Amino acid sequence: MIEPTIRTGTPVVQVKNLAKAYGSNVVLRDVSLSVPEGSVTAMIGPSGAGKSTVLRCMNLLEQPDSGEIEIDGHRINAGRKPNPKNLAALRRSAGMVFQHFNLFPHMTVLKNISLPQERVLGRSRDEANEKSMELLKRMGLADKADQYPSRCSGGQQQRIAIARALALGPRVMLFDEPTSALDPEVGVEVLEVMKELACTGMTMVVVTHEMAFAGNVADELVVMADGGIIEKGEPGQILQDPQHERTRRFLRAVLER
Amino acid sequence: MEMLRAIAIGLPLTVLVTILALMIGTVVALPIVAGLRSRNRLVWLMSRGLVDLLRGIPPVVWLFILYYGVSIGAIRLTALQAGVLGLGVVAAAYLAEIFRGAISSIPKGQWEASSALGFHRATVWSLIIGPQTARAVVPAYTTFAIGLLKDSSIASSIGVAEIVFMSSQYARQSGEGIMVFFVAAGVYILLSVPLGLLSRHLDIKMRKAVAR
Repeated sequence: MIEPTIRTGTPVVQVKNLAKAYGSNVVLRDVSLSVPEGSVTAMIGPSGAGKSTVLRCMNLLEQPDSGEIEIDGHRINAGRKPNPKNLAALRRSAGMVFQHFNLFPHMTVLKNISLPQERVLGRSRDEANEKSMELLKRMGLADKADQYPSRCSGGQQQRIAIARALALGPRVMLFDEPTSALDPEVGVEVLEVMKELACTGMTMVVVTHEMAFAGNVADELVVMADGGIIEKGEPGQILQDPQHERTRRFLRAVLER
Repeated sequence: MEMLRAIAIGLPLTVLVTILALMIGTVVALPIVAGLRSRNRLVWLMSRGLVDLLRGIPPVVWLFILYYGVSIGAIRLTALQAGVLGLGVVAAAYLAEIFRGAISSIPKGQWEASSALGFHRATVWSLIIGPQTARAVVPAYTTFAIGLLKDSSIASSIGVAEIVFMSSQYARQSGEGIMVFFVAAGVYILLSVPLGLLSRHLDIKMRKAVAR
């Protein structure tokens, strides 16, 4: 196994010895990961490898059986019941983008982005709307503000979801297969936004099957299989010269189809 | 004309019993839904048992029990009180199931997004899950309300002077027999059709806004 190359700053996300099982079905075994500030970490691997579970454990959408999670200084120990204040603080530090967008269908696009700011950050409606419009403009979606999400394409919905998460000023953005539910052409719009976000220095953890993104944008590549990390390091190096047989098999399957 | 007068006298009580029972049912259903969703086995079992008990016994039997069987100290329920209360608690059981179904029809992603954004539980219910549940519940709720409108006639069995009670009294006194019941049937239809139309109108309007 290759040791992670620390590129910048202190870690924003630290995961230590994460483990989780459903009965006898082990989903995660002893996963440790550190994400330096301003870096992009891409997680790849066959489905069922536990990539999404690691990501979902990071903001406690999924409760690990044991291990430790720290985001932006807010530490949660999986063994004990999390203190609600600490959990809220940890979640505020992490923005999450889902495979299926999970926008609120009964609210306009603008309200989708503004409501969390009002409720979680206590911003006034005007402040929140101003911030929302600024983000929508950045996403090229200012004209969609008063529409309902159902009137937007998948790619637009995912960009709205990114804006909704960004509006809370997270220290790290967690992406759970953000383009898997999209047509390839539409997925490109989303990947463009993510690239731009990476350029602005946002810390990102991305579970993805987009090898080009993993190779070109990520600073660190994490390969998972069977609930564990089997390889991590510089993306170019891993994609060119994988050390682990399982990685080779996976890369052959995705790259040579 | 006597016939119409009899029905007209019964009409307000039919509407009153229906509305009050629906209100009681809706309010009482909420804690039952909470119980049905509870992860505490005991609370769940008690709520489940309550729903099955309320639904398993015919409403008319509940009304008899409440009217003839209940006396709290020197107080006994009037026919109207027993009718409203009986139909109300039975309605609560059915509505609890309707609400529970509607809540579980909300995609898991809505809960996950709410958690990830850091919403408080109260916010999730009042602004995310509640409004979507309300939309999902409209068709089943109005169907139930129309059923309850007709079932309010069960209250005639303990002497609540609603439409059916007044009709049968008229039929007995005048000897005209069946005619008054046809008129009564017409009145029920006149009451329920607009309810159905309103429901469909609401449903279509909401669907337009949030179609997935």
